Amino acid sequence: MRMMRMLGAIAALFVAAGAPARAAELDAGVIDAAKKEGKLSLYTSFIGNPLHPAIVKTFERKYGIAVEVYDARATEINERVRTEQTTGRFIADVFQNGQATLERLEKEQGILQPHGGLPNSANLLAAHPATATRVPSYILGYGILANTNLVKPADEPKSWTDLADVKWKGKLMSDDLRAPGGGAILFAAIQDTLGADFHRALALNNIVFSRDVGVDEKRVAAGEFPLRMPQLVSNMAQLKGLPVKFIMALEGAPYVRFDLAVLKNAPHPNAARLFINHYIGEEAQLMYANGALIPVIEGAAAKAGEAMRGIAGMKLMGTTRPETQEAYYALAKEIYK
Amino acid sequence: MSGQTAGTISQAPGGVINRGGFARRYLQGRAAGVAALALILGFLTLYPFGMLLYGSLHSTPPGMAGEFNLNGYAEVFSGPAVIILLNTIGISLAKTIPALAMAVFLAWIIARTDTPWAGKLEVLITLPFFIPPILTAMAWAMLGNPQVGLLNTLWKWMTGSTVSPINVYSWGGVVWHMIQYSTPFLFLFIVDIFRAMDPSLEESSRMCGASRWRTFRGITLVLMMPALTNSFILSFIRGIESFESPLFFGTPAKITVITTEIYNSINHHATPDYQYATAISFSVMAMMFLLVFAQWRILRGRSFTTVTGKGYQPSVMKLGRWRWATFAFCILFFFVTVVLPVSQLFIGSFFRFFGFYQWDMLTLEHYRNVFASSEIWRAFGNTMLLGLIGASLTMALGAVVAYISIRTKWRGRRLIEALAWLPWMMPGMVLGIGFLWAFAMLPGPIPIYGTIWALLLAYVTLGTPVSVRVMSGAYAQLSFDLEECSRVHGATFFQTLWRILVALAWPSFAVGWVLTFFMIMRELSASILLYSVGSEVLSVTLMKLWANGLAEQVSVIGLMMMMLVIVFRWVQLRFLKSRISTL
Repeated sequence: MRMMRMLGAIAALFVAAGAPARAAELDAGVIDAAKKEGKLSLYTSFIGNPLHPAIVKTFERKYGIAVEVYDARATEINERVRTEQTTGRFIADVFQNGQATLERLEKEQGILQPHGGLPNSANLLAAHPATATRVPSYILGYGILANTNLVKPADEPKSWTDLADVKWKGKLMSDDLRAPGGGAILFAAIQDTLGADFHRALALNNIVFSRDVGVDEKRVAAGEFPLRMPQLVSNMAQLKGLPVKFIMALEGAPYVRFDLAVLKNAPHPNAARLFINHYIGEEAQLMYANGALIPVIEGAAAKAGEAMRGIAGMKLMGTTRPETQEAYYALAKEIYK
Repeated sequence: MSGQTAGTISQAPGGVINRGGFARRYLQGRAAGVAALALILGFLTLYPFGMLLYGSLHSTPPGMAGEFNLNGYAEVFSGPAVIILLNTIGISLAKTIPALAMAVFLAWIIARTDTPWAGKLEVLITLPFFIPPILTAMAWAMLGNPQVGLLNTLWKWMTGSTVSPINVYSWGGVVWHMIQYSTPFLFLFIVDIFRAMDPSLEESSRMCGASRWRTFRGITLVLMMPALTNSFILSFIRGIESFESPLFFGTPAKITVITTEIYNSINHHATPDYQYATAISFSVMAMMFLLVFAQWRILRGRSFTTVTGKGYQPSVMKLGRWRWATFAFCILFFFVTVVLPVSQLFIGSFFRFFGFYQWDMLTLEHYRNVFASSEIWRAFGNTMLLGLIGASLTMALGAVVAYISIRTKWRGRRLIEALAWLPWMMPGMVLGIGFLWAFAMLPGPIPIYGTIWALLLAYVTLGTPVSVRVMSGAYAQLSFDLEECSRVHGATFFQTLWRILVALAWPSFAVGWVLTFFMIMRELSASILLYSVGSEVLSVTLMKLWANGLAEQVSVIGLMMMMLVIVFRWVQLRFLKSRISTL
């Protein structure tokens, strides 16, 4: 009998590891208080996130709490939050931003307040734990975009180091490596993994920088450039039907994790907690996994649709860190003049 | 003409004759009016500028601990920034001079020659100004990229050459893209000045034996000096502040101008360098102020009156066979600046992807998505509301400021004019930050921040320089004797204002209104910082679509905006025509 119980426990552990963890609810008191607050305001730097409306709807349907989403580019939204916090105009409840940026803003401006514990945070991946203030919400992974008419399979770069090959001189288009966004993430990941010497070798290939991601992807598809980096894997669905291919580099994917946090003096703190807990619940995370983003809770990747499973579980290479952000911008400007 | 001595007979500008106590009350009321106007303009301009000045002198933005220093300005006057400034001036001159020459030529063709279908051509010539720059940038990138650009491919196919003659990612590309916007902008300013000009002086010149060219150079152009210098300065300053063209075509070619430098200082750091961004903006502003001051000095004390009390018919030059050449020139301009890029957008909007014109990619999906989007319709509704109210308020404010500045000698008029000018001299992305700081710092009970009022106030501020310039040019051409005649015949001040000044200057008012309306429609820098949930505007929605790679949907909206322009301009010109015939 004892043996049976032990086998049962082991089996349960395996099941738990392979399937998404069950959603856990906050106390009824918090939920009631959140419902009384009636609404919340989400500020996000992921501008026009196509999954936000759907995820917000699931929350509104479940709890009857309205969510107002204000999205703007990172610089603008950061300054707006800073201004509102310093002038006492507390409008926003939940702030979503890149992990490094949010961590830095918390340290420099003290704009976050503790979320007070969220049941669903127990399901977060071990590599992406929550802190007392910040909670991971999803991850965006990057690779290389290749024009399939111009790049034969045999010539495709397999690794980030292949891009330094002289055959790509003048043929590489890139998000600006000296600026926040995909470019800075790629710079940091390469710098931490391959070092500055590789950057110097890469710079010799006269990379053309451009920051209009949506247009740039189509410029590659049209044949203006054979390769573009870094390419968001989640954008590939929009390029379906074009002669382009996503290449996952051997070293892994540079990535950016978006975190959620409750802002100080949030006017709807209970609704904010409830929203974040919902965001890292199974329903929302599966929606991200099926939208070619990387979920942050256990088992969600395995439960994603077959086509998305590989993306949801992709190998991650590196990302920006608050302690090196400014130094890396300066280094990038020095190398890629 | 203004008399300020109380107790004696005095005559105010516009011919108001007053006596004794009435004159005192009039003067007090006038002073209060000027003070109120200065206060309004001060709130709209000096207040956000004050916040920005603080930002340029303080190591951190308002509300954060830091120290006062001049580090931002020290950085501005270091080597690289000065070179960037010189580059920017060079680019702005390179686009303003040909754009002005072309605008004058086009305006002359439309207003003063018998070129066929001039009315329709006038609408077509102005169209490029109203197309969102980012859309034409994308279209020109498809047409003129050196690798697979349509024009280069065509050239290679025709000549067998392997060399691409056009590269839009270059200095030339930046200047060319800017010219496309400057020319119709300047044309809009100039065409009505040509149209409203009494030809008697030109006729006298011709009767005295001067050639047409000499008459044009010695009379027409000289009489248009205020309008031309105003237009030149407006366009030159706008060139310094141009952002989309250098960002899109200059960045890949490693061309940096002031605006991209400001953009980089805000966006290319972990913590935005607002001190440098605002310091460089104020330094450029000081330089531009010198330019405006020089214009004031040049034009001071000279008369440019061309609209007098005498009846006249705007003279139309008979060009004979040459009218087809001028017609062809207008059509060529329209073809190159509108047909070429817009055809890319139009055709592209019916395919799944721009530039991939295959049968299996034909779709109406982008139109369906745009028409079915409640977010787009809400933004459209908000924008129309803000555009209608904002443009009307802006033009009313501009008309009053211009009147005081041009038609009176009132004390404080220069201050008012300078205040109205300020927003034009500050790059939009920096001024947007100024509005954010200013409105957020207002005392709690003043409910502007986070409401649609914040957007409206920002739009009125941003539009006032154009409205003042448009109305100043119009007022400068009106003879004072028109007002005096009206007053002598018993009309009140307001009757005179309405029946003479408004009636004669209203074509310019209408042009200014359209300009302001579409400026509001396109404005992004302040909108993105000031909008709130529920008060989204079209420019913000377009930017979100663009950021998500939905350029095809952006094009659909851009094409709709163009249709709106055509309707507006058609209505305006029909109305204009009927008004002119009754003058």
